[in-house]
Amino acid sequence: MEKGKKILSAAALPVIVLAVCLLITSVNGITLFDSQLSWITFTRAAVNVLLVTYALSINLNSGRFDFSIGSTALLSSVISAMIATKYNLSPVLMLMISVVTGGLLGLLSGFVYVTVKLPPIIVSLAMALFYEGMAFTLTGGHGVSFASNAALMEFGTIPNFLIIAAIAAVMMIAVFDHTKFGYEYKALVSGQKVAVNTGIREVPNALICYLIAGLLMGAQGFISATSNGSITMSLNFGSISPMFMAFLPMFVGGFIGRFINDKFGYLLGAVCSALISLVYVRMNAASSTQQIVSALLMVSFLIYLNNEGKLKHLLKRS
Amino acid sequence: MEKKENKRKFTSGKLLNLAPVIGMILMAAVFLAIAYMKDVNIPYSFKNILNQSIITMVVATGAVFIYTLGAFDISLGASMCVSALVGAMAYNRTGSLLIMLGVCVGCAVLVSLISSVLASVFNLPVFVTTIAMLSLLNAFALVLIKANGTGDVVQVPANAVRGINTVWFKLIVLILFLAFCIFAFSFMKLGRQEKFVGGNPICAALSGLNASKLSIIGFMMAGLGVGLGAFLTITYAPTLSRNTAGSVGMDVIISIVFGGMPVSGGARSRIYSAAVGSLSMTLLSQIMLMLNFDSGISQMVKAVIFLLVVYVSMLNSRKTILPR
Repeated sequence: MEKGKKILSAAALPVIVLAVCLLITSVNGITLFDSQLSWITFTRAAVNVLLVTYALSINLNSGRFDFSIGSTALLSSVISAMIATKYNLSPVLMLMISVVTGGLLGLLSGFVYVTVKLPPIIVSLAMALFYEGMAFTLTGGHGVSFASNAALMEFGTIPNFLIIAAIAAVMMIAVFDHTKFGYEYKALVSGQKVAVNTGIREVPNALICYLIAGLLMGAQGFISATSNGSITMSLNFGSISPMFMAFLPMFVGGFIGRFINDKFGYLLGAVCSALISLVYVRMNAASSTQQIVSALLMVSFLIYLNNEGKLKHLLKRS
Repeated sequence: MEKKENKRKFTSGKLLNLAPVIGMILMAAVFLAIAYMKDVNIPYSFKNILNQSIITMVVATGAVFIYTLGAFDISLGASMCVSALVGAMAYNRTGSLLIMLGVCVGCAVLVSLISSVLASVFNLPVFVTTIAMLSLLNAFALVLIKANGTGDVVQVPANAVRGINTVWFKLIVLILFLAFCIFAFSFMKLGRQEKFVGGNPICAALSGLNASKLSIIGFMMAGLGVGLGAFLTITYAPTLSRNTAGSVGMDVIISIVFGGMPVSGGARSRIYSAAVGSLSMTLLSQIMLMLNFDSGISQMVKAVIFLLVVYVSMLNSRKTILPR
């Protein structure tokens, strides 16, 4: 396929989603982007989803299901918020602490995984319980509130969100597409046993994957905390829910990734997801309606993806 | 010499397989020792443990039929919540406990059937289908509560279920369901075929096994467990909200794995894993409670013990490459 055609194909889905969103809102007499707040809501949703999608996809593409990413975000944001509040640090420093803490927590999850050699789903369940418990103990179960800290609350601006998204995207592309680690990662994704037999060391590779996922979730935890002004505690796997928002953009990204770099695919998937979220917000949709629509969209898209060949065949015949 | 070595390996393998059961017995012993030292009312505590663990045991035992296939259902808790809500509404309309039981089971089996048929007919990954079902069911629970509830809850009069809110009734339900599942899993073709499909799906397909059919049956068995769990939930806590059974989905995974069953299913799947696992987890929670640990520390200790027990029980199935 030609380059121009590829770009057009990649852009088609986000453009269609935007057109449908504009149509739905205009039919209901609402302007999709009517104020600065709409743009902030859209950008924040896109960055949040992008970070979780990147974090989830790194391990999921390797067949490692990670339930602990939500708890990594929770604990890293708790630790960074406690330090920032105690020493009156700037938002940028809090972000850096959150990212580093997230990275260390991710690394710890990876270390436990490669040490005990249990299926990643089991290890991630244990780590999720552990991190949730630690966050709960650190805050005495009360969570952290910094609604009165103006500097932290004002961090959520469009340029700041865009800078974080750009850094995440550049890092992902640089690390996974332009380094030895990235090539080995791809080899391990497509054939673990063969890759290991050819001499690729999968333990360091897995550790780096967990580290990067942790770094991304640290940033996501920070954005989520500064947007809400507080961090609420979760126990008994209450922290896993953020993970679910990444599935639709991940599938959309995977589809777009056929035409362009899959990291851009995830970015466009996150944009589509954020557009849909903005429609919910602008139309004041009930939580149940949002969940039903999102689930139906995901299932419909997956049905299309998994039956594309059959559908094309049917269309040809008719 | 070689014979001796083989025998030693066989014995240690058997012992490792029994690690979850040994763990459960150890935990019961620790529980009894602490209860004795702290002068706790032991029969009352045991009643509490049974009350807390029976529902998870029933749901998890049914779920073994899904996990044996190497599949995974994260929507069990949400399905139980919706089934309980619909069952409670049926009781409020008819005043019959039997109809409530039938509606709970029927609703849960129907939900399971939808998940499995969707996955089979449209070639969708089962796990992703259950994630979508989780969202749909959570939303459906909200709609049901809004349409039929008083405020944020749907209630069954406490008097109506008082007669069956006893440990003995719950134990009878558990034993009957366990017996049925053990029969289906260990004495019928179903269990063997499921293990084959879970262990080697390609080989099973080449041998003529219909994985889709087995998946639908497996999901229906799980639905049966979820329905019974929903019924028992109403008897235990007749005020139902959107948070009812919220943690059941994850508790089921933890119980099954804690009971020594591999998440990948296959030949090492055991029907009793779920019961052993959920009883162990409840015993562990009670021990933490008696030691006055705060909820956070209690959860951290649980995580470490969970990992440790699973690590020991899977010692003889280590691979040279990292598991996925």
